[in-house]
Amino acid sequence: MQVAVVTPPKRRVAGPPPLVIFAIIWLVLMLATALLADVISPYAYTALDLRNRLSPPIGLGGSLVHALGTDELGRDVLSRLIYSIRTSLLIAFGATIIGALIGTSLGFLAAHFRGLVEQAVLALVDFSASLPFLILALAVLAFFGNSMLLLVCLLGLHAWERYARIARGLALAAGSQGYAAAVRQLGASPWRIYGRHVLPNIASTLIVSMTLAFPEIILLESGLSFLGLGVQPPATSLGSMVGYGREYLTRAPWIMLAPATTIVITTLSVSLIGDWLRDRLDPTLH
Amino acid sequence: MLRFLTVRLLRAALTVAMVVTFAFVVLRMSGDPAQIIMGADAPPEAVEAFRAAWGLDRPLWVQYFNYFGAILSGDLGRSMRDGRDAIQLVAERIPATLALTLPALLMKVALGIPAGIYAALHRNSWVDRLVMIVAVAGFTVPSFVLGLLLVLVFAVQLGWLPSGGQESWRHAILPVVTLGLGGAAVLARFTRSAMLEVLGQPYIRTASAKGVPWHAVVTNHALPNAAIPTVTIIGFMMGSLIAGAVVVESVFSWPGVGRLLVVAVANRDLAVVQCILLLVAATMVFANLVVDLLYGLLDPRLRNAPKRAVA
Repeated sequence: MQVAVVTPPKRRVAGPPPLVIFAIIWLVLMLATALLADVISPYAYTALDLRNRLSPPIGLGGSLVHALGTDELGRDVLSRLIYSIRTSLLIAFGATIIGALIGTSLGFLAAHFRGLVEQAVLALVDFSASLPFLILALAVLAFFGNSMLLLVCLLGLHAWERYARIARGLALAAGSQGYAAAVRQLGASPWRIYGRHVLPNIASTLIVSMTLAFPEIILLESGLSFLGLGVQPPATSLGSMVGYGREYLTRAPWIMLAPATTIVITTLSVSLIGDWLRDRLDPTLH
Repeated sequence: MLRFLTVRLLRAALTVAMVVTFAFVVLRMSGDPAQIIMGADAPPEAVEAFRAAWGLDRPLWVQYFNYFGAILSGDLGRSMRDGRDAIQLVAERIPATLALTLPALLMKVALGIPAGIYAALHRNSWVDRLVMIVAVAGFTVPSFVLGLLLVLVFAVQLGWLPSGGQESWRHAILPVVTLGLGGAAVLARFTRSAMLEVLGQPYIRTASAKGVPWHAVVTNHALPNAAIPTVTIIGFMMGSLIAGAVVVESVFSWPGVGRLLVVAVANRDLAVVQCILLLVAATMVFANLVVDLLYGLLDPRLRNAPKRAVA
């Protein structure tokens, strides 16, 4: 088994390709939008402007008052978009971190205790691989009703089995190498071995998995919200905006196009960065 | 071979049993069924009588085995909305869903695999780049956005096709294309990387070096080896024939299983949701089983080897 190295071998330092630079800029822009939503949003996302209902965006005969147009209640599409970006990113970040925590912990547990614990974790992995996640999520939402917290935790369960597999495999590999055994001989507790020694060595692979799971979670959340089963009004997310704008597809396509474009460019950006990071960091590819 | 089959079948049965257990646990955790069905202001005696009638006053493990037995005998409960058998309600919707997912699967295979093979054989050509761009787009454009864009162009702007409903075969075109395009992109990407990996193997070089014509190298040596990972993805797609169209059916108001599921979830019609959950799990497990058996046929090395490798 190959040694999992954190630092890639010394190479000529090449900057990221232009597409990845664009992706990074876009993501920084999205993060800034999410953090500064209260400051940069021109209106409150629930504010009505009944005189300007369904007014088109700039370029289609609209004015600067509502740069991206308004919906049928005269709510500013730009303001709603800004708050939707905040909601969707918050959910996706929360869920990605929960998934990584649960998966990595279970993977370590399986690798540490072996035997029955390991078989139980592997059976759970089989179970979650046997059901499409969307169906599982819909079933849980049907049984428990809907709340923001539940939604984040539920989406956090997405892809946990991938982290579990990786963490288990790499922890087993680490156990057969000198360093983990050496620390154990020195009397370190399992917490210390896994937290301070194994985890840093496999972190790069886990981070790559997180960048791959993140866009999937954005897509799942927007899919659920599009179906009306995710984020509930008055809160708004990118998916629920698309679902809502669908009613006005003929008369006011901009209501749906603005969030749809944002979803596509954001997931594309994270995927590009994820692929690039994987090529750079994943030791199994060298 | 017999041992291989038995282990696979046992694993499949275990997975289905776990899904049933999951449904039971979630159902019990979501609240007292007696209270939910009778309503919050039902008199306590009525609730007690209901509990006794349905065996809810017995120990949890007895309930669990009864629940298992009921499901094994095909009793999946009644829809809370119209009182009909949940399984019948779901069965009625299956043909409509298959009418979308089967042609879509055909489209995925017919477009995705040749595109992936061609792209791998002509690496870095413009076709390869085009396939990769479409493949990435197929992953990042959610199906509801693609569906709505197709409606916007072909139904609203051009007026060629209907935007929703199920009156004629023309109504199926846009949903099938929406499902098929996304899947074809995924399949093309997988086929391409599987082919590229195989083409880099020493036996390909050996075959070329000993003078086998290139087309024979590709058909006899590369394609059979690249088929293995591709079959996995197709198997996964087969498994989602029943439930792979949840979002697309909603976009196009198509009355299939997916639409039923969304409505049942919104109404918290638990019997119907549970029935679809089990049906989907059974299809997925069955598809995985078929894939595992196909592996054995495609790759003689896997017939007796332990399947689970360390990740």
